[in-house]
Amino acid sequence: MKKTLALVLVLCGLAASFSGLELRMRTMPRRKVPGAGILYIPSGKYLKYATFGFSTLIADVVYLWAIQYYGNEEIADRYDSLLHIFGIISELDPRYVDAYEVGALIAAGDMQDLGLALKIFDLGFAKNPSQWIFPFEAGHYAALAKDFPTARAYFKKAMDIPGAPAIAKRLYADTSFKAMDLRTSWETWLEVYNTAADEQIKKIASNHLYQVKAAADIGALKAAAAKFKAASGRFPSGPDEILRAGLLPSIPKDYDGADYLYDPATGEFKTAVIPWKR
Amino acid sequence: MTARMVKVIAANTFKEAVRDRVLYLLLFFAAAAILLSRVLALLTVGDRMKIVKDVGLSAISIFGALMAILIGTGLVYKEIEKRTIFTLISKPIHRFEFLLGKYLGLILTLAVMLTSMGLIFLGLVLVETGVFEGRILLALVYVFFELLLVTAVAILFSCFSTPILSSLFSLGFYLIGHFSWSLEALAKKVRPGPGRTLLGVLSAVLPDLENFNIRTEVVHALPLPAAHLAYAAAYGILYAAFVLTLAVLIFRRRDFV
Amino acid sequence: MSAILTVDGLKKTYSQGFIPKRREVLKGISFSVSEGEIFGFLGPNGAGKTTTIKCVLGLIFPDAGRIELCGRPHLDPRSKAEVGFLPENPYFYDYLTAREFLDFYGQLFGLAARVRRERIAGLLKLVDMERAADISLRKYSRGMLQRVGLAQALINEPSLVVLDEPLGGLDPLGRKEIRDIILRLRAEGKTVFLSSHILQDIEMICDRVAILVEGKILSQGRLADLVSEKILFTEIVLSGVGERDLAALGEPLSAQAGRTLLKVYDEARIPAVLELVRDRKGSVHSLLPRTQTLEDLFVGMVRPQ
Repeated sequence: MKKTLALVLVLCGLAASFSGLELRMRTMPRRKVPGAGILYIPSGKYLKYATFGFSTLIADVVYLWAIQYYGNEEIADRYDSLLHIFGIISELDPRYVDAYEVGALIAAGDMQDLGLALKIFDLGFAKNPSQWIFPFEAGHYAALAKDFPTARAYFKKAMDIPGAPAIAKRLYADTSFKAMDLRTSWETWLEVYNTAADEQIKKIASNHLYQVKAAADIGALKAAAAKFKAASGRFPSGPDEILRAGLLPSIPKDYDGADYLYDPATGEFKTAVIPWKR
Repeated sequence: MTARMVKVIAANTFKEAVRDRVLYLLLFFAAAAILLSRVLALLTVGDRMKIVKDVGLSAISIFGALMAILIGTGLVYKEIEKRTIFTLISKPIHRFEFLLGKYLGLILTLAVMLTSMGLIFLGLVLVETGVFEGRILLALVYVFFELLLVTAVAILFSCFSTPILSSLFSLGFYLIGHFSWSLEALAKKVRPGPGRTLLGVLSAVLPDLENFNIRTEVVHALPLPAAHLAYAAAYGILYAAFVLTLAVLIFRRRDFV
Repeated sequence: MSAILTVDGLKKTYSQGFIPKRREVLKGISFSVSEGEIFGFLGPNGAGKTTTIKCVLGLIFPDAGRIELCGRPHLDPRSKAEVGFLPENPYFYDYLTAREFLDFYGQLFGLAARVRRERIAGLLKLVDMERAADISLRKYSRGMLQRVGLAQALINEPSLVVLDEPLGGLDPLGRKEIRDIILRLRAEGKTVFLSSHILQDIEMICDRVAILVEGKILSQGRLADLVSEKILFTEIVLSGVGERDLAALGEPLSAQAGRTLLKVYDEARIPAVLELVRDRKGSVHSLLPRTQTLEDLFVGMVRPQ
């Protein structure tokens, strides 16, 4: 029928025009981010009661929204609410691991705020004490930021959780070393060496043990050389001079039993080989 | 002739809709929500008025949509079910005039309800801040544009479906309309190809009710580009026209058994 | 007299249900209604009377056939403006009063306020609803709704009034009143098209009829032409003569209190019956010749189907 055809044409025309408008509107600047009202929810605790048991679903929605929101460079002050938003997500769905990880990622990466990232991890860990991933990743972030004492504390937490990967322990040992706690580092690396599952791990452990011993030995040797200089006004010509001066009970050898190299001009000691190239 | 027919039906529809108790129940809840926002504001950190405005405007939007859906889905269905439509269509009235009259009658009712809710809200804002914010009126105007579209959808479904199903479908439309940004984001992430094109087309054609949501700009005192406002208004009118035309198409050759 | 309504070859099939089951309701019907007459549309329930009416009024779209109303295609608004319709079991907006209800329809026809007021007053008087005019329709009885519905059908002073089962659900007094109104409408020059399955009422007021059975028109024409004036039998109520003696003359059916009802099929025998009664010193209480009624015709047509 003619009229029906006319109506169908009108329909198509209208559909084309509003679709066109929609596409045009998307390109416009200052296009607001929908759902930004979420920012003003006082606390996830209250929202939870309002969601009638759909809290995990709402958590997902808020999370999805957050991804878009924090990825939107146009909103200059978006980071102000990061902890708040991820706090809401954690209240709604405490077990949502991704959310914590991404929140911390944004905090550490985009915002360069290690403390905030660690706070988010702590939040996640508090609600999920069996998730080793939280202290594990926190340790990594801290290590990346060269905050080794913090890093090793996290790695200790991580390695103590059943199910944590073996590398957590090794990272603990390594960061202990970097945090200048040589004793703990040595003991831990020894444990790793003794309980190593395969040859490769053994090799790694032994390299590290070499390194730790070297650091301890060289430290002692350097201190002795400095004392010598303070007493006699010059650096000793060799390690045996230190020995004869009675500054050390014995000259330590490296882990493999070789001597350390000495430079009389500077009083510096160093290893004969590079630890991980043994 | 057409104008007269539409006016008479619209006036009659208004009289009927205004008597519906559901309307006043929803109005009561909307008022409660608006006043509750004042309480919620006590819990927040920072600017209290922002949460009052945001919750208040959102409540008006949601309850307005509920009113449109709950009453709209019964409008045509009741006439057919109760057979009052027989004496009506046998008169020299075009079927599209009937639909248009029903639509405009409900729109008028919603305008009255929206004004009432708006007055309560503005009153609260005035009491709290002592300032009359004209931009809130603008936000309400765009809530009205959204309702133009939602009402059209409710009436469309009312032409061929029971009120319960129609309400569910209309509610589905409303939800889809508010989550269309996720479809848009999804389309961007898919690899270019037929799948992406399809998603893109879908996201352009499916309703985007967020276009009418200028609440955040109003609440945070952000700039409102006139172009966006003009486009959004046009979008609402065009989409509503589309839905109504679809309803007319379906309703035209329907047998009233 | 020109035809105000012509229906030619009307067909309608319904397919209902999720898995469509086809049901042929109208199998090609044709009839015409002349100006100024009262036309009766008869048929048992489910014959398709209401479907036909709805096709004429544009509520249902037929699959085939042509309908002409007031000399134009039936969907033309100008034709519709001259028609008034009262559906079966009428429902109306129950929150309105009768007056508001009639005013609404008056507005639809574009009648000025003063004209509306006058007409409404007249119509309320016609259907005897003046007292209840300002009570909401929700509180009306079936009969009251019927009358208000009739008033609504007349609000535009139509030339054709279509009534679907107008006398259903009314008490005998109500039926008489409606019949009188219909006769009055004809006197005013209007045409009335009514459907019913109450044959006595049709017989009393219709000029022409069409009989619709299972979607087909089996018979149509002037009532006088269809129903012959031939006397079928004579019923005599008498007393004082035994049944055995009457058996030869007619068919005795015993009545009460010593009276016998005798059906005499042969007219020639009636004098013999009267003589017999006189001989036996009995009495004749009544003598009624029965011609063919519409019911006889109707039953005769419907039953063989």
